[in-house]
Amino acid sequence: MPREAEPSLNEKQFVLQALQDSIRLDGRELEQYRPLELTFGDQYGVADVTLGKTRVLAKASAELTVPYADRPLDGIFNIATELSPMTSPAFEVNRPTETEVLISRLLEKTVRRSGALDTESLCLVAGQKCWSIRVDVHVLSHDGNLIDAACFAVVAALRHFRKPDTSMEGGVLTVYTPAEREPVPLSWLHSPFCVTWSFFGEDGDIAVLDATWMEEQVSSGSCTISLNKHGEICQIAKLGGVPVEAVSLLQCTNVALIKAKDMSSKLDRWLTEDAKRRDKGGLLAELSAENDRVPDI
Amino acid sequence: MTTERPLVLPGDTIPPHLIPSSTTKPLRLGPGLRHLPPSDIIPVVAGQLITNHQKNSMWVEYNNNRYLPTPGDLIIAQIHRSGPDFYYCSLSPYTPHATLPHLSFESATKKTRPQLQPGSIVYARVVLANKHMDPEVECVSQSTGKSDGLGELKGGMVFDVSLQFARRLLMAKSREEGKVEVLEALGAEGLAFEIAVGRNGRVWVGGEDPKAVVVVGRALKETDEGRLGVEEQRKLVRRLVKGMK
Repeated sequence: MPREAEPSLNEKQFVLQALQDSIRLDGRELEQYRPLELTFGDQYGVADVTLGKTRVLAKASAELTVPYADRPLDGIFNIATELSPMTSPAFEVNRPTETEVLISRLLEKTVRRSGALDTESLCLVAGQKCWSIRVDVHVLSHDGNLIDAACFAVVAALRHFRKPDTSMEGGVLTVYTPAEREPVPLSWLHSPFCVTWSFFGEDGDIAVLDATWMEEQVSSGSCTISLNKHGEICQIAKLGGVPVEAVSLLQCTNVALIKAKDMSSKLDRWLTEDAKRRDKGGLLAELSAENDRVPDI
Repeated sequence: MTTERPLVLPGDTIPPHLIPSSTTKPLRLGPGLRHLPPSDIIPVVAGQLITNHQKNSMWVEYNNNRYLPTPGDLIIAQIHRSGPDFYYCSLSPYTPHATLPHLSFESATKKTRPQLQPGSIVYARVVLANKHMDPEVECVSQSTGKSDGLGELKGGMVFDVSLQFARRLLMAKSREEGKVEVLEALGAEGLAFEIAVGRNGRVWVGGEDPKAVVVVGRALKETDEGRLGVEEQRKLVRRLVKGMK
């Protein structure tokens, strides 16, 4: 397996020196993200996120299956991450690197364990039939800060996804094709976003948001904060690296909240734009089989 | 000189009037062309066919992503480790290391040779590049024994650009033929910097002020990635220098 090419001494020194003077190589502020872009695919549940030169594609899919024996009332929800050799020759198929394991762990903690998706709503027949929702994350281009981009892609894909409509009549479960009934969105409870800080210097006194790959290679530690727009923190991961002052970490979470709110409003806007684009002639509401459940008494 | 620059695709037949026909010099084929005996010349890549009647040579100008070492190329190499007689250095990531003999420096002897740490950067010239051998580079001119500006690059920052852009920067008339004005424009704005361009797509920029180095690097990368014309390059430089102050 070829090793990842290391930056030269000159580059390491220069990046650190420039960060001391609050200069970044791409002219950004220390707390500024690269331009975040999102495009949805033709299908439901495909989100392509670019963050500067980092590009991540997430695809959500659903399939009918049997629930786990110990959780008969819950559906199944999985996130699969893949870092292929297309991203960099240092990644190999079927041999997860440390980066890959860390990303999937963090996504798992952020999206799955925080209860963003209501898994109980995925159950169709208790103990017999449920939906299994799976999100595949493909990293297409790696220029640092994979976690934030991947998390944004997963949340966008899941919120964009529509699963086939089903009905239960007299013990018979019917799954409708998209032609018969308009697919329905998942029951989504809150949208967590990851915000990653990188720390530089021997005592970690320089904190930088959205580090590029070059900056990540010279950083002395990083901390990922997952939170939603209400400021509810799902997890904080500070895996090794230099110790950081508690006060500056608090400061980081405050900025992270602003960034999460910003990402949340961006995602809402893109989702409405996409819904408008798909809703040709305003027919989508009529095609939907869901009624408003207003009792007419 | 070059007059017509037609676009060729792999396997195209080259019109006979474009093939230089000097009787005194042998025809030299550059990158992207292959001679099929007895007398066919076909392009093997897509790009612009360029012919030079004075040198009786022709080649295809295209933007490939992988650097293939060619003797005489000036490159920026990164030292990987030191062996008993050579430094092993990388010209591009994920390719076999090139060798740099310990004595290929200006006035170097066994005792006075420069001690380069792993990860330091040298500006060097390719001397040997065979298909099945590791390339060899040097930091001294074999004929004069002088370094001619080659050697270790201290401080500064390295930026990656495309191979074609690096070639354009290195052209003798980079402004007229390469359509690169960005460095002149940066100099005209009063920025002080040094620059070394490697044909392996790496550009070293040195200077006292890190701000200026970053601005030069950004100007080069944006010119390369945005394929900016001369006028756009001037605008870009003005914008970047304005944002710096």
